[in-house]
Amino acid sequence: MEHWIYNTNILGHAVSLNLDTIFTMWFAMIVVIIFALLTTRNLSLVPGKLQAISESIMKFFYGTLDTMIETENKKHVPLVASLFLFIVTANLMGQLPLRIIHLKQGGELASPTNDINLTAAMAVIVLIYYVAMGIKAKGKKFLIHDFSFTGIVMALVEILEMFTRPLSLAIRLFANIFAGEILVSIALGAMAYFLPLPIMLFEILVAFIQATVFMMLTIAYIGSAVKEEH
Amino acid sequence: METISQMAHLGAGIAIGFGAVGAGLGIGFATKGLMDAVSRQPEVAGKAFGFFLLGAALSEACALYAFVIAFMLLGK
Repeated sequence: MEHWIYNTNILGHAVSLNLDTIFTMWFAMIVVIIFALLTTRNLSLVPGKLQAISESIMKFFYGTLDTMIETENKKHVPLVASLFLFIVTANLMGQLPLRIIHLKQGGELASPTNDINLTAAMAVIVLIYYVAMGIKAKGKKFLIHDFSFTGIVMALVEILEMFTRPLSLAIRLFANIFAGEILVSIALGAMAYFLPLPIMLFEILVAFIQATVFMMLTIAYIGSAVKEEH
Repeated sequence: METISQMAHLGAGIAIGFGAVGAGLGIGFATKGLMDAVSRQPEVAGKAFGFFLLGAALSEACALYAFVIAFMLLGK
């Protein structure tokens, strides 16, 4: 559960890096990149097996965006698709036998999403993206409300939302993966070899559901930011 | 001090207990909604189950917030 922390000093500031998270994050990214390169090699009008798989995955994102955002929904696919694919790969990595190996420096090579720093960074990226999209779609009307009682209350609520939305996004993903890993460890201690198996199967389901929840909430936030109000 | 760590352990137990109550109620209501929908219109079962999983994951997250707090308290 604890991380391999490397303390260093950058420009006079004490910085601690979670090296195991960085390593597993790069591993997940490389897996996604290799998958993308393999499936986009030799594109043809009649799709082969790999191309058919990737096309059906992309169709899932286009379909979800179509149902939740009315106008100009195609341009959000890169962010949404890369978030989903990265989170699924990262979550599934936590169930590999790789995490039995305990590093000498402390920590283990589990899924990178069991570190709140990584999920918080993704949540902040989502925040910046949907605020930018809202400003692009509505101009300064996105930030300025009417000067009336409802306008002031709405402005305060939206300022609060800018903090609570990334916070809940980050903590939801982190806590689900972290709790899953602790649950598997406890089951391993209670009855090794047999009790962890159904829990690990459940964790695979959780990995997909949490990635879907993260993606759905991202789409809902973007949709509420770019929606035309009448 | 020893008493502070004992109190922190007690607090961790209380936190996860009350957190689990809320999430359990939430998932129970979600299941009730799913059962109502499926018994009225059995043909929407597949679609409704997807939404149910999404809602159950969202309400389960509330228990996990309490879990994170409890784990932080255990480290005290």
